[in-house]
Amino acid sequence: MNLLYKSYYYSSYQCDNKRCFFVDFGDKPVKLSFCQLLALRQKVNSIDLNAHFDSNSNSHGIEILTLCNREHILILDTLQVIDLKQLIKSTFGMLELHALVAQTI
Amino acid sequence: MKDLVRQKISINVDIMDLLNQQIKKEAHSSSAYLAMASWCDQNGLNYSAEFFYKQSEEEREHMLKIFKFINDNGGTAYSPEVKSVMHEFNSLQEIFEAALDQEIEITKSIHSIVFKARKVQDLSSEYFLQWFINEQMEEEQKMRRVLELFDLMGTDGIALKLIDERVKDI
Ligand SMILES: [Fe+2]
Ligand SMILES: [Fe+2]
Repeated sequence: MNLLYKSYYYSSYQCDNKRCFFVDFGDKPVKLSFCQLLALRQKVNSIDLNAHFDSNSNSHGIEILTLCNREHILILDTLQVIDLKQLIKSTFGMLELHALVAQTI
Repeated sequence: MKDLVRQKISINVDIMDLLNQQIKKEAHSSSAYLAMASWCDQNGLNYSAEFFYKQSEEEREHMLKIFKFINDNGGTAYSPEVKSVMHEFNSLQEIFEAALDQEIEITKSIHSIVFKARKVQDLSSEYFLQWFINEQMEEEQKMRRVLELFDLMGTDGIALKLIDERVKDI
């Protein structure tokens, strides 16, 4: 297993043998196919952070995400959302970096 | 470490995002043309109505073309939500102007994706989008030709009826 990125709360891995990804959400590691990782990325990217600072649109500052066709459910507060956004961005950044490095070697 | 991403997807992930946004825009165009068709129908402009029904269908085809491209290449396409479709117009001329403006916006959007694809060296997407560049030139020309009819024939009374009849040959 290769660590891709570690944020404050979470970490992401790529497993070459199983040809899949893992995201460790602290209490549980979740196995993700590439498609599922893309879906997570889409969901996380479309969370409106501004709404967390506007008591009319998201008064509780809570976000509920389902993963892998609703096999998992995540309940996140504002800090966790920020952290997860960072994790996703950096994970895909690292994947791109690896591809570039592999290309040049 | 294996390049798993490349094994799964043959287009750049950021380009995939832009293509998903483009799907929304094509879907919006399709709905906008449908609204225009409805207005023309209500106002007895049958050929123009026909024209916009056909345009609406074409936009849906564009949307599906992108949709399939994303999925066929290992990405994930998202079914678009369409919001704020304009239904109120003052004249047929205004409709065709709105249609041209819409096409120009789509052209700009396609071009900007091509530039981005070039930047990240995603040749597959760039090549795929070539078709859309051509298509956009044709669509803009179509709308422009109708607007030229208004310049030529005016907008009132019988002119409107004559223009409507010309629209079927455009
Ligand atoms: Fe289109
Ligand atoms: Fe079009």
